[in-house]
Amino acid sequence: MENEKIIEVTQNYFTAFSDPDIARYIHEEDASVGAMWERVSSQFAALPAISDLDKTYSYGEMDADVAKLRGALAAAGVKKGSFVGVLIPNSYHTVKAFLAAVSLGAVAVMIPPHLDGAVVKGMSMGYRFAALIYSDTSAEKVQPAGEVTKLVHADAEAEPVPAADCAKKDPCVVLFTGGTTGKSKGALLSHGNMLRGTINGCYGVGKLDGQRFIHVLPLTHVFGLVFNMLNPLYTGSCVRIVRNPKEMFRDMAVFKPTKMILVPALAEMAINLSKQMKLGANLFGGCLTTLIVGSCAVPQHLFKEYADIGVTLLQGYGLTETANLVSANPRNDYKTNSIGYPYPGQSLRIVNGELWVKGDHIMMGYVGAEEENKAAFEDGWFKTGDLVRIDEEGLLYIVGRIKELIVLSSGEKVSPAEVEAVFCGPDYVNDTMIYLDHTETGREILVLEVAIRPGFTVDEEKVKADMNAINTTLPGYQRVSKIIVRTEDFPRSASMKKIRGKRA
Amino acid sequence: MTRTEIKDRLVEIMLVAMPDAEETIKTATEESNLHTDLGFNSVGILYIVIAIEEFFNVRFENVGFNDFQTVGDVIDYIERAQAA
Repeated sequence: MENEKIIEVTQNYFTAFSDPDIARYIHEEDASVGAMWERVSSQFAALPAISDLDKTYSYGEMDADVAKLRGALAAAGVKKGSFVGVLIPNSYHTVKAFLAAVSLGAVAVMIPPHLDGAVVKGMSMGYRFAALIYSDTSAEKVQPAGEVTKLVHADAEAEPVPAADCAKKDPCVVLFTGGTTGKSKGALLSHGNMLRGTINGCYGVGKLDGQRFIHVLPLTHVFGLVFNMLNPLYTGSCVRIVRNPKEMFRDMAVFKPTKMILVPALAEMAINLSKQMKLGANLFGGCLTTLIVGSCAVPQHLFKEYADIGVTLLQGYGLTETANLVSANPRNDYKTNSIGYPYPGQSLRIVNGELWVKGDHIMMGYVGAEEENKAAFEDGWFKTGDLVRIDEEGLLYIVGRIKELIVLSSGEKVSPAEVEAVFCGPDYVNDTMIYLDHTETGREILVLEVAIRPGFTVDEEKVKADMNAINTTLPGYQRVSKIIVRTEDFPRSASMKKIRGKRA
Repeated sequence: MTRTEIKDRLVEIMLVAMPDAEETIKTATEESNLHTDLGFNSVGILYIVIAIEEFFNVRFENVGFNDFQTVGDVIDYIERAQAA
């Protein structure tokens, strides 16, 4: 194929930034998530696993609870390969239900708790759930869905049954994609996928022993389930579940987390609060060393602001379909605009700028979506839809998403994200946006809008002069013909992604 | 705290929560609608709730921020909670 590059990731870029004792934690021989849980729950039996509301559960205690719920699921007729819905807002019970279902060999379908009852019912019928596990906090959403689906309360107990034998290739969980590329799809991930995602989370994050994680992200999200939950459990760490986001800082004051995983918008909110309350690192409990952020572009100023309070901010890149991260920065003083180095053991292919990935972290496919699967895979490669470049040191950079590409009438393609990044240089720039417009005479022009960073006052003429100077450094087809300066930020989606296009 | 002092403090908090809307927030009145006039997103609202609880030493119990429509509604709540 023309214009392509294949990269076999044989080097582990993360070794120097990983716990020197990391080998003790990595167990490639775990055949399934259930087998992994059996091992860690016995290895760390006496250690605290999860803290939720006013109770802390040890690994041993939790394993006993998982076994009882597994018994209740078996009694309800759940078998290896059955689909089981998990409809429980973030809590100890969500994790217990997930582990009980998958250790029985069932496929856990993690249902976003904000969905309404009718959608849940439709999903129960569509997936033919053998059981739907719910809790007191989701009971009002649960409607009987015919003969097939048994309703099982998360506190249900029966004679414990042993875990089922599963292999890495067996299906484990369905997670719904964020849907930035269209409607939400259910990505089916295998036990092997989940284990690889979990193991990758151990690399490049420093010390693994005795860590305390705060958990704010939804457990129905790949980042919340794999990086923020399975990864800590894999290493014998303790996870504090924040049920109500408004209580997160009170929880931190008591729990004193050492590591935290957030989306950029929350990371920014937290540092702003820390500044306004003049609390510095104490807002986070005073022990936080590492903050991992992903899911969309990280504002550059956050790296320094967190460094100023002694917290290392690490940026990573991953998708639901890749069971956690594809790449990450093992340290924060490197290139903050990069999504980091790829994790070892995968193959990357850059085809006409698009990142394709192959490896044992890539999902089995979207459930019941033949067309989408055909579009997402080619010769066993998963096509991410993200446009990237890689530098000579092996660092990856996002330059845009395929659907964002601007195709000029000349046929040349402009990736807005790539050009926008160039204009983000001056410190007074918050963000920029490029789009195609037409003059009164119908001429096609590229327009640049510059949003000024809050707190900065800068003369519009100076902004235009600076932007013009940058403009002249670009290849001709990427140059903008009109510059608009704005004091307010761009409209953003719920996940804080810029809503693209011209605004009146 | 007087009503004016509460409002001034609330504006300081809102400015940090939604710095991009500085102009709008600075000219906000008690009648300004939090959602349609000021355009707070979910993370901005979370910020305001946490900051109000800390700075005014009040708690939002059994009340969600979506229960408030205007800046004046929030000031009313803080006044009542502080008096209680």
